[in-house]
Amino acid sequence: MVKKFPIGWGTLEILEVTVGGDKMYQQIAWTVTLFLVFLIALAFSFVYGESKRLNEYGPIQKKGYKIRKYYFIGILAVMAIISAVTLTRLPYHHEAAAEDYKSVDVEGIQFAWNMSEDKFVVGEPIEFRVTSTDVTHGFGLYDENLQLIAQTQAMPGYTNSVYHTFDKPGKYQILCMEYCSVGHHIMVKEIIVTDSERGNE
Amino acid sequence: MEYVIKPLAKKAVMWHLITTAIVILLMMVFGVMMLLNQGELISISPELFYKIMTAHGIGMIGIASLGGLAIMWYFLSKYLPLNPKVLVANFIMFLLGVVSVLIGIFGFNFSDGWTFLYPLPSQSAQFGGPAGALFFLSGILLLGVGFLVIYGYVAYHLTRVYGGLHKSLGWDYILGKKTGYGPPPAAVASTMVVICNSTAILAGAVVIIASILNILNPAIVIDPLLAKHLTYAFGHIFANCTIYMAVIAVYEGLSKATNRPWKSNKVFFIAWNFSTIFTLMIYTHHLLMDFAVPKWMLIVGQVFSYANGLPVMVVTAYGALLIVYRSGIKWKFWSLLFFLSMFGWLSGAIPAIIDATIVVNHIMHNTKWVPGHFHMYMGMGVITMIFGFMSYFNHQEGKVKENSWDLFSIVLYFTFFLGLCGSFLYAGRISVPRRWAEHLPEWVFSDQIGAFCGVLIICASLIFTIRFFMGIKSAGSQENSDLTKIA
Repeated sequence: MVKKFPIGWGTLEILEVTVGGDKMYQQIAWTVTLFLVFLIALAFSFVYGESKRLNEYGPIQKKGYKIRKYYFIGILAVMAIISAVTLTRLPYHHEAAAEDYKSVDVEGIQFAWNMSEDKFVVGEPIEFRVTSTDVTHGFGLYDENLQLIAQTQAMPGYTNSVYHTFDKPGKYQILCMEYCSVGHHIMVKEIIVTDSERGNE
Repeated sequence: MEYVIKPLAKKAVMWHLITTAIVILLMMVFGVMMLLNQGELISISPELFYKIMTAHGIGMIGIASLGGLAIMWYFLSKYLPLNPKVLVANFIMFLLGVVSVLIGIFGFNFSDGWTFLYPLPSQSAQFGGPAGALFFLSGILLLGVGFLVIYGYVAYHLTRVYGGLHKSLGWDYILGKKTGYGPPPAAVASTMVVICNSTAILAGAVVIIASILNILNPAIVIDPLLAKHLTYAFGHIFANCTIYMAVIAVYEGLSKATNRPWKSNKVFFIAWNFSTIFTLMIYTHHLLMDFAVPKWMLIVGQVFSYANGLPVMVVTAYGALLIVYRSGIKWKFWSLLFFLSMFGWLSGAIPAIIDATIVVNHIMHNTKWVPGHFHMYMGMGVITMIFGFMSYFNHQEGKVKENSWDLFSIVLYFTFFLGLCGSFLYAGRISVPRRWAEHLPEWVFSDQIGAFCGVLIICASLIFTIRFFMGIKSAGSQENSDLTKIA
């Protein structure tokens, strides 16, 4: 699916990578990290391999500083482009805020999740209004494949809204993402998503 | 003008390093215990797991700071007339703080994590009694005060020698009032650390004192979000500064090993000034999932986290590659570790920067991706610099002979540290939450791989440590110290 983003001087068209309907930022993060760490390892291996030869430092510095200018501009350009693309898709203010969201109250408490509703329908836009009555917790929404698909912090005194529209029926889970004491790992709640109001999973 | 390091300073640095070596090994054992439990290879109670987790976190950060401080002091003593009694005083404060922290954790069951989030300590105190939290928080406060005193003292001498902290950060060279080379990298890095870590400790002190008051009198409260800002301003900056102290050894060591100058020029000063500003600013990337924080502050968190990668990518690591390239270097254990530590630092910056991207953070925050990236720059960066400095110190102050174990242990350490970090990052890629005592069956394999790598990292570290202790026996007895020769 192609999405369009205004980036100041025009419109950027991005092919959104989807697998099973879920955005694959995790896969991108993993692949990019492996690739760049490999490149860094190559650079260090090359310099190590060349380290036993002896040349005068002055010319090496001069050439090195020249290359550095382009290297700096290159990194800066990549960072600017990634920022321009990603900052248009922040999860804080949903891009279709005018849509009619179903509001669901979520309250974290050591060591459970209280929710005003725990059964949802595919295609129904949901606003999870997340807070806590004791300490800070982390609201992590996991799909059936145990993949994290959205999260926000559950804080005493604050309500954070996270928006999600389920695109597949099934059993989803809310896991605690912020350490909240010795029962942190048992703070799990299952929610059901059906493909119709009649409740077919 | 250069100074001679005093015998007491050498001894104090040596005791810092001995303590650091022992604690690093112990904390590594704690780390592997957690992975073994998550990987279902041993079984410990969640209560004990979280106590170990708390000890591992504060222990590693604390000891990296102590080791980094030893490096900073040792080299800075060449350029500033430092009184080693101040270093000794800090060491005593540190030990007292550690005792208090350990009593809090293992004596009174404090297990709220080293970046405890207010009001968790007072909530835990309601069930388990206030002693654990009070011992732990007081211990951290003692550690902080010790470091604050030492940074104040270093700031005083930097100001006396260079005419102000702005001058030791090279503003005269940036503004074009002076040309050529300025204060040595050790002084520049120390200035940055003094500014950033003093700010961090003050922020930490506020939230610690607020937490203590809240435990003693629950009617005294502060805003949890403000407390979170202060906690991460402390934790993020303090953890980052460990590498900015330890990198001084790389500047001095690689310059010596290659017989090439590594001096401060205008670009170098600009990089360190930006590092100072960015390090102070970017703690907000820990709050990207706190939607109540003003949006501009979170965007600053992303943009400046990216920018904070530039000084190391473009100046420091690039400088290390340049100084080594065709230098005819005769590799020694310490110089190889210094060189590889820059690989660790640079590699760790990649997943950190990726995680600071808000849309990525939305599905990777507080997964094991996070320990993945900080183990890269802590384990393969800071700790490698400290291990390298231990060997460098022995070379300068004691007797040490290179042998085949050196290269073997370095290969072992780096191969399996990459494996460990890979297992963490992979766990983050499959959404495994961090800080869970027990793991679901789907997650266990990555933990087992991590535990296996961790055991071999401990073996390599044990070899480093044994070599260090063998060499340090004669430390101080040699006349080969560069710092002695300066006289």
